[in-house]
Amino acid sequence: MGKYVLKRIGLAFVTTFIILSLTFILVKLLPFERPIGNDAMQIAYFDKQTSLGYVYRFEDNHDEEYGEYLYRSPMDKGRRNYYYKVPVLEQYGKWLKNIVTKWEWGYSKSIMPNVSASVIIMSRIGYSIRLNVFSVLFSVPLGILLGIWAALKKNTMTDHFISTMVMIFISIPSFVLISFVLRVFCYTLGWLPSTWPPDTAPARMKAMGYIIPVFCLSFGSICSYCRFVRAELCEVLESEYLLLARTKGLTRRQAIIRHALKNSMVPIFPSILAEFIGLLGGSMILENMYGIPGIGRLFVTSLGHKDYDILFVDMAIFTTLGLLFGVLTDLSYGFIDPRIRMGAKK
Amino acid sequence: MKKTRKLLALLLVTVMALSACGGGSTPTTTAKPAETTTQAPAPADTTTQAPAPAETTTQAPAPAETTTKAPETTTPAPETTEAPAPLADWDGAYMEREDFQAYFIHDLQLMVEAIEDQLDDATYSKVMADQEAGEAAIRGAGTVAEIKEAYKEAFDNILMEIPLYDGVVSYKKESNEERTNILGILERFAVSTGITGVSLYENGAYVMYNPRITLGTENYIVGYGFGTMAEGAITEDLEYETNPDWKRYYHTYETMDPGHILYHNDQGSQVGDMFSYIAASFYTNFMNETKDGYDWVPELAKEKPVAVNDDDGDGMATTWKFEIRTGKGDGLKYTTGSELESRKAFNDRLVELEDYITPFKFLLTQANNMYRGTEMANSTGGAIAGAKDYYNASKDGFNEAAWEKVGVKAFEEGGKSYFQVEFAEEQTQFYCMYYISSSLYMPLPQEFIDLVGTNVDGVSQLFSYNNDKTESPVDNALALGAFYLERWDAEQQVVYKKNPNYVFADTKYQIEGVHDKIFPAAKEDPTLGFQEFLAGHFDAASIPKDYLDEYRNDPRTRTTTGTSNYKINANACDQATWEYLFGTEGVVKQNAKEDYWDLKPLMGNHHFIQGVSFSLDRQTYANARGSIASVEYLSSNYMSDPENGVSYSTTDAHKKAIAPLLADTDGKGYSLELARDYFRLALTELEAEGALKPGTKDKPTELEIEFAWMTPAQEESFFKEIKDFIETAFNDESVSGGVYKLTCVFWVGNEWSDVYYNKMMTGQFDFGYGSITGNSLNPLDFMSVLSSDQEISGNFTLNWGVDTNTTDVYPIVYDGHRWSYDALQGAANGTVVVSKGQKKAPVEIEYTELTKNEDGSYTGSFTLTSTNPEIIKVDVKSVVCCNYERYRNGDGEYDETELEDVKVEEKNGVYTVTFTVPAELAEDYATGSGKSEEPKGITGFDLYYDLTIDGNVSTDLIYGADDVFEVK
Repeated sequence: MGKYVLKRIGLAFVTTFIILSLTFILVKLLPFERPIGNDAMQIAYFDKQTSLGYVYRFEDNHDEEYGEYLYRSPMDKGRRNYYYKVPVLEQYGKWLKNIVTKWEWGYSKSIMPNVSASVIIMSRIGYSIRLNVFSVLFSVPLGILLGIWAALKKNTMTDHFISTMVMIFISIPSFVLISFVLRVFCYTLGWLPSTWPPDTAPARMKAMGYIIPVFCLSFGSICSYCRFVRAELCEVLESEYLLLARTKGLTRRQAIIRHALKNSMVPIFPSILAEFIGLLGGSMILENMYGIPGIGRLFVTSLGHKDYDILFVDMAIFTTLGLLFGVLTDLSYGFIDPRIRMGAKK
Repeated sequence: MKKTRKLLALLLVTVMALSACGGGSTPTTTAKPAETTTQAPAPADTTTQAPAPAETTTQAPAPAETTTKAPETTTPAPETTEAPAPLADWDGAYMEREDFQAYFIHDLQLMVEAIEDQLDDATYSKVMADQEAGEAAIRGAGTVAEIKEAYKEAFDNILMEIPLYDGVVSYKKESNEERTNILGILERFAVSTGITGVSLYENGAYVMYNPRITLGTENYIVGYGFGTMAEGAITEDLEYETNPDWKRYYHTYETMDPGHILYHNDQGSQVGDMFSYIAASFYTNFMNETKDGYDWVPELAKEKPVAVNDDDGDGMATTWKFEIRTGKGDGLKYTTGSELESRKAFNDRLVELEDYITPFKFLLTQANNMYRGTEMANSTGGAIAGAKDYYNASKDGFNEAAWEKVGVKAFEEGGKSYFQVEFAEEQTQFYCMYYISSSLYMPLPQEFIDLVGTNVDGVSQLFSYNNDKTESPVDNALALGAFYLERWDAEQQVVYKKNPNYVFADTKYQIEGVHDKIFPAAKEDPTLGFQEFLAGHFDAASIPKDYLDEYRNDPRTRTTTGTSNYKINANACDQATWEYLFGTEGVVKQNAKEDYWDLKPLMGNHHFIQGVSFSLDRQTYANARGSIASVEYLSSNYMSDPENGVSYSTTDAHKKAIAPLLADTDGKGYSLELARDYFRLALTELEAEGALKPGTKDKPTELEIEFAWMTPAQEESFFKEIKDFIETAFNDESVSGGVYKLTCVFWVGNEWSDVYYNKMMTGQFDFGYGSITGNSLNPLDFMSVLSSDQEISGNFTLNWGVDTNTTDVYPIVYDGHRWSYDALQGAANGTVVVSKGQKKAPVEIEYTELTKNEDGSYTGSFTLTSTNPEIIKVDVKSVVCCNYERYRNGDGEYDETELEDVKVEEKNGVYTVTFTVPAELAEDYATGSGKSEEPKGITGFDLYYDLTIDGNVSTDLIYGADDVFEVK
């Protein structure tokens, strides 16, 4: 078991490494943006890029070595500079070396210039974690309860109503839902804050600031859980062992609580872990739209601003968390259902 | 006098026209000749008025109504008394001959109208005679080709009457009024030749203000605004704000948190805007007493600049000085909102004299890697003497020896503190104020810069977070401006508080503070910012297009002018011009044959471009976007009199320049009938030339024009409506009877800037969307971007097709002489050498390669040829031999030696500079002083010289040439 766990964790890190490497190379292959401006602005821009390590500057043509130059400054006192993009693999090598030898993930170039990428991530991750934990705490019980209710009322109006609503709401893209909720509850009714309250806001307002994001983030999860639980429970309710339990004299309530619910939860509990990761990803749009300073928004912003060092740390967090939760999910099956043995020899 | 003369001429022209055409009908459209009416420009509020093609029939070529009233006052021209020769069969496809002729006559009239003010009486008479003869010739021509030939001949004849300018000249010191006239002449040329592109709209907006805000003025002041912060006030609390201290702060938002306000190292505008809250500068602007303009007011300075070396008394000087405020003399103090003990020590710290020099050192020291410093060192406008040399000499840090030559000094004299600045070029008092007033030059104590330190990359943490985020920009900032940083919550809010130490704290900026919310959602959905405003969370917001109808007339709404006019720029090159500019040996960019742009015949036809311009219903287009319809090249922000805030757009010179674009349109350059007329004209010309072949009604000839844009979203938001305008006009049955079909197609690149770098700047386009903005206080300088010469335009040319340094493409007449665009634009901004109307380099320099002498020494030479030996003199200072081999291939060290053996001979304005490099030196440099592993003998020579043009001396000019020594 221990060996299996170590192997899975090891594989998770290898996967993370491959994903990050591919991300780095693909992102760095994006076309090089340059400003619209006169030569003074161009020189300033490319000198800046040179100091950031993205560009090489030479006094003579190096086209053969580095391909066509990005910019050539005008002649000045008989001299000029040629600017070339640093080859991607060279950048990759430096980046990897800094991580491996110094555990240095780089510094923000534009989002928060100077600040260590990992420091920025750490200052933001709390918002995302809190939001997602509240969301899971809200969505899991509600989703399960609705699922149970629908399963117990299978093929009744209640079941049809819940199932229809679930289908409708699961189909609504999150940004549509957020926009709708913002317009109704914030701009029309004025009941809730329309953006994430700043840290300086009173506690009551800060608490109210969670309502919209938690609700919007939970909506999809509630629907998923509801569908999942309903399907599992319906299947269990029709199983022979439950019939056996009833014939042994248990009441329907006792049979459901003691046997049906317990067994139907076997595949559901691990999915809660997976859902948590799903929520982290889903919160990217929400954080951006509601102005939550979390790592989801940071991911989008860093991509937009080409602040790659932050992007890669953010990516590393998401990937690592995703893979580790995957391992945990797999392991959790064994704890929830003793019949399942991880890594056991055949 | 000129007006009378013009009227008589027009009368004569008209009678001739009446005689020749046998009836006197003015040129009309072929579609509706009988309904031709004069349409007054539409009033400004015609926003919902649908285009009415049936009523708004064309009037483009016809000033005839003004002349038909008094035909009896003129004598019939001799030509009309002769029996006209029978005309050849008319070969025009889509217009009647008379209409076709009328357009060319109209073009001729417009041309004369553009230049007549600048002609003396004798030349004017000759020009009018040529015009009359030309019009008669046009009327007497039968075919399309003959008419065009007659027009060309008349055009050339008119040009020939006007002498070309020769000499060395500068109009830089002329009055604002005269310079405005020059600008008008240049603009008229640009408009007439199409090098401005086709303007769409000015990026002004409808803005709503919270009623609790009292604006400084109700009427927007161009280049200044409403005076909201400086002269405005807040009279009520903002209910939404939970912090009681911030209830009277001005509440606004940013769509992103820039993470710092170190403007010195930022290339965007957001950081500059945020920094301006806390920064003070030598001079600032405040609204004038009549609230219809603004004044330049000393802020850190105490007086306006005084010229130090205005030797000729013309008001221009390179060196200026002015008294400044300091802590000792005036109690000027820094403010910080930091709670850190180390930073608090700087609160109320007095500003010292040396603090004024510190920001210049900070910016210009190359080792500091400050973006704006690099820009400052390399900029030409308002360059500070010695700045670039210091920058180049400070790669490894502050260089005291090089700093000595930088033209900024702060000193005490007679118990007062002064700042002195020396510019590389002469400036007027106003431009001295303008160039020195950047917030980048706000004083800073060096010890504060040292205290905040640098990050791991060696970049200063001033106005920024530190590496581990334990210090925020609040801790690393000092303020002298109207506000200081109070709070910075990353990605949430930035808060500024009124600075009690600000120079004008008692009289200006009475608002208690500014709350800047970080609101990223507004970037994706601009309506959200407006929703927040309506919800009472912000104090101002521009109205998104979806809400315009509802809120345009709201009492809270104000309109602003814009900073830039957006255009669709045109590639109107013919094949030869394109080849010259962008071919395999192109002077702008070299393209392989397979990458040649497929030039469309339509695009090379000026009348087609005019048709496109007339087809755009700008008013509807702008109304739908909350911007200002504009047919003009320059936005309202460009100043004719920058010191007093007079917009160029209000001047007569400008109105005359753009008159051809507005005549007989809705007042914004739109006329569907005119558009169709010009399309008919273009098709008629192109078909007669054989450039286009008609299809049939069932299978029309497909014509495709590409429009390049910045982002995919612009296809929906901008392009489709333009496509609709143009296609509706062109594909109408009345244009070609359905034998041609025009399709406008959308293009977008990977990056927004691709439309510039991969399309417009490299000639790989038909139409391209974009705009260039420049120094709004000096539009004459900004007009350089229209030049086809890339050295003049700084590679900003977006419209192609016309060589702007020729004098025969369209007349530019100033002061009785004919000029090229480049020559007059250059003369308006400095001293230029003009030969036969064209701009010339004052000195042409050639380098003759080294020859090795028997003793191992080398001899080389420079030849400098003065373009005008009488006025242009060269004074050779020295020749310097450079050890490039060591710098490039050795240990990276650079050294150079001034040569002793330099001989200068002058004969008829040709200066021959012969120099000899001693054998020892050549041997040493050939190997990079022994440091080069594989020596190639690379060297170079810098020729230093002074140039005197008409008594004005330019010193320390350098010409460089590369060469090689033989390597043993």
